[in-house]
Amino acid sequence: MLTYVVKRLLVAVPTLLAVLTVVFFFVRIAPGDPAFIILGDQASPQALATLRHELGLDQPMIAQYVDFMTMVLSGDLGSSLVTHQSVWSEVAKVLPYTIELTIAALAIGTVLGLPLGVVAARRRNETIDYVARFLSLLGLSFPAFVSAILLLLAFAIELRWFPVISEARANDPMSRLSALVLPALNLGLIMVAYVMRVARSSMLGVLGEDYIRTARSKGVPAGMVIWRHALRNALIPVVTVVGLYLGVLIGNSVLTEIVFNRPGLGKLIVNSLNQRDYTTLEGLMVIYAFFIVVANLLTDLAYGLVDPRVKHQ
Amino acid sequence: MKRIGLMAACVWTGAALLAASAPTHAEKVLNVGMAAADLGSLDPHRTATTPDKAIIGWMFNGLVRFKPGTMNPESIEPDLAESWDATEDQLSWTFHLRKGVQCNNGYGELTSDDVVFSLKRASDSKISSFSSDFADVASIEATDPYTIQIKLKQRPPSLLGILTNYQGGNIVCKKAVEKLGDDFRAKAVGTGPFAFSEYTPNQSVVLVANKNYFRGAPKIDKIVYRYIPSDATRDLAYTSGEIDLIYGRQDQTWAERMKSDPHTIVDVFGPGELSNINLNITKKPLDDIRVRKAIAYAVNRAELVKFKGELTARAAVSIIPHDYLGTDEQAPLYPYDPDKAKALLAEAGFANGVTIESVQTSLPPMLNTMQIVQAELKKVGINLQLNVVDHPTFHAQIRKDLSPVVMYSAARLPVADVYLVQFFHSRSIVGTPTAVTNFSHCDMADKEIDAARLATDPAKQKELWKKAQEILIEQVCAVPLYEQLQVWARRDTLDYGYKLEASLTLGPIINEQSTLK
Repeated sequence: MLTYVVKRLLVAVPTLLAVLTVVFFFVRIAPGDPAFIILGDQASPQALATLRHELGLDQPMIAQYVDFMTMVLSGDLGSSLVTHQSVWSEVAKVLPYTIELTIAALAIGTVLGLPLGVVAARRRNETIDYVARFLSLLGLSFPAFVSAILLLLAFAIELRWFPVISEARANDPMSRLSALVLPALNLGLIMVAYVMRVARSSMLGVLGEDYIRTARSKGVPAGMVIWRHALRNALIPVVTVVGLYLGVLIGNSVLTEIVFNRPGLGKLIVNSLNQRDYTTLEGLMVIYAFFIVVANLLTDLAYGLVDPRVKHQ
Repeated sequence: MKRIGLMAACVWTGAALLAASAPTHAEKVLNVGMAAADLGSLDPHRTATTPDKAIIGWMFNGLVRFKPGTMNPESIEPDLAESWDATEDQLSWTFHLRKGVQCNNGYGELTSDDVVFSLKRASDSKISSFSSDFADVASIEATDPYTIQIKLKQRPPSLLGILTNYQGGNIVCKKAVEKLGDDFRAKAVGTGPFAFSEYTPNQSVVLVANKNYFRGAPKIDKIVYRYIPSDATRDLAYTSGEIDLIYGRQDQTWAERMKSDPHTIVDVFGPGELSNINLNITKKPLDDIRVRKAIAYAVNRAELVKFKGELTARAAVSIIPHDYLGTDEQAPLYPYDPDKAKALLAEAGFANGVTIESVQTSLPPMLNTMQIVQAELKKVGINLQLNVVDHPTFHAQIRKDLSPVVMYSAARLPVADVYLVQFFHSRSIVGTPTAVTNFSHCDMADKEIDAARLATDPAKQKELWKKAQEILIEQVCAVPLYEQLQVWARRDTLDYGYKLEASLTLGPIINEQSTLK
């Protein structure tokens, strides 16, 4: 299995280089001058020209591309045009926050969504099924930033269980945890909606299969039918959804990060875009692409766990 | 607020320990909520954005300053300089520094070396965003540790204006700049009432009181400047009591809602950022003055002010903002007269309407104004097309002269010359080597603007500026709309210590006189 993983990661490298190239040219083609954004609208043309020269922006595009690729291939993602800090260190500062939010949201989504979907499938067309489907519809329809504000109103203003602005200090695990609750709930509850739906329909499909009928007629208790026979088969589409959603979560968390005032990868991408911070954008895109690759890899490995018919050479 | 379980225990223990070693009074901490994602730069010679400008106002001094709460050049008073004198021709100025002023963060006494270094840095186009303000300065020298001599090539409209605690006039400490290098951006050091203490990216900057401030120790011990880009979150944080001073929205509904709270004071103050619609007189059909006049007659300023909200906006009085030194408060602006507009268009050969293209920013307050203007122009037969792009793209494209109609919103140093030169003098025309923000390509008032600069009699100077405004308005180089004032809100426990009418930093000045109950 190790060779499988290594092979997959190696194959990812050309993908990442391709992403880098595409992003490099696209962001530079977009109008907007980073020097102007940094210096402001009262700066003289000389000041702007000097800064552009310092940042290497007055070179022809191909020359800039060659310089950049050489740097990246030697392992250096460059420095932010705005803060002059290394891109990698900027990303490293926010990455833990994004990862913990993603994992927490994923955990809430699956731990709540899966059982809910299974129960809704078992008790199809009963009250609990309708309730679950209605809540799922709400979860799918609510934009993340609306539900985020509602959570703040409920838990921070009315109940006062949390402050509105949670300063997650890097070396204080308790503050990190308490700052994670509401944002994770926000993204997690939306994910519950997705997972529940897929789990339910997949479960319904499986419950109609012959081998389930056989198991029941054999006298296998209902609980065992669900757990041992139905669930593992029903899990495959759920794993797919969760795997896909993992990639989506990292980028789409930006609205949640903004409302809850949390540092994160999504927010960093949006800010760099607004500031036309080319180097940070490129670095972020590569890291993001790498995460998608890893997410897909993990999904594939998960299939192997769930479905013994899948073999990884 | 309630924290759960273990957290509560920790807080309780911590509080007990703190109480055991408590100082004689509780620490006064001012929490401020700002609409920004992160710090841009605390370097006063580089900062261009409102969020950064506000906090810089609490950290630095200039040789002179505007009296806190005003931005009237006639109220400029001593700051780091105790006194000054100038030669008859006003081309050579000598400033006498206060003795014993300390640089924050342990960088020692401020001497003329620091001042000369700082002013030279501010005039260096390689480092400073405001170097063009110092274009008329020939030399800056320290004649002794507490005396500085500034020689000028020609008289700028207001030397004192450039040397105030605004933009390039903010004095930075030499040793700090040299020691911190690139880090100065996030840890700037000045002589002001508050000094940099801590910066958490994307979250906050913490300032602590400068106990050795030469005007007296501040009564507020600490300021936590929090970056909260989401408007809703910021409002909620104010409601929950987590912030006491909040950057507002230049929005009537917001101001009214905040005002309705008995413990909240809404501060609306200058400078008013003037929104002008600049018209490029070299592009068809705007090259025909009748078309430009038609646009001026078709725009309903009063309607726009009503839309923006009378609490936070006021109608423009001239082609430069109200209350600047030299503003013609009764300038002959074209009144609202749609019939006249239609008649002029017919005369110009556009009886069946005319289409004009423009590039417009997607920034909501500017975009919705232009949508109203578009509707007003439609009524007289002018079809204004708005190509909406994002804000940085907008700024890039208008400077490449790609839009014949440019709606620009700005405030500048409150002396008529600055606005007139940057927006309406031929040397500032966009696309030229000395470009600033002259989108109209106008040059008809060059003579008056240049003469006003050289005028030694203040009355004559004002007259020349008045003439310049008259000419530019008559020629419709721009159609003035309204001025948007600055809006902040605070809890009534915060008292600035002075009356806030205007602040060039676009935020209230927190100084040694400010108190927090």
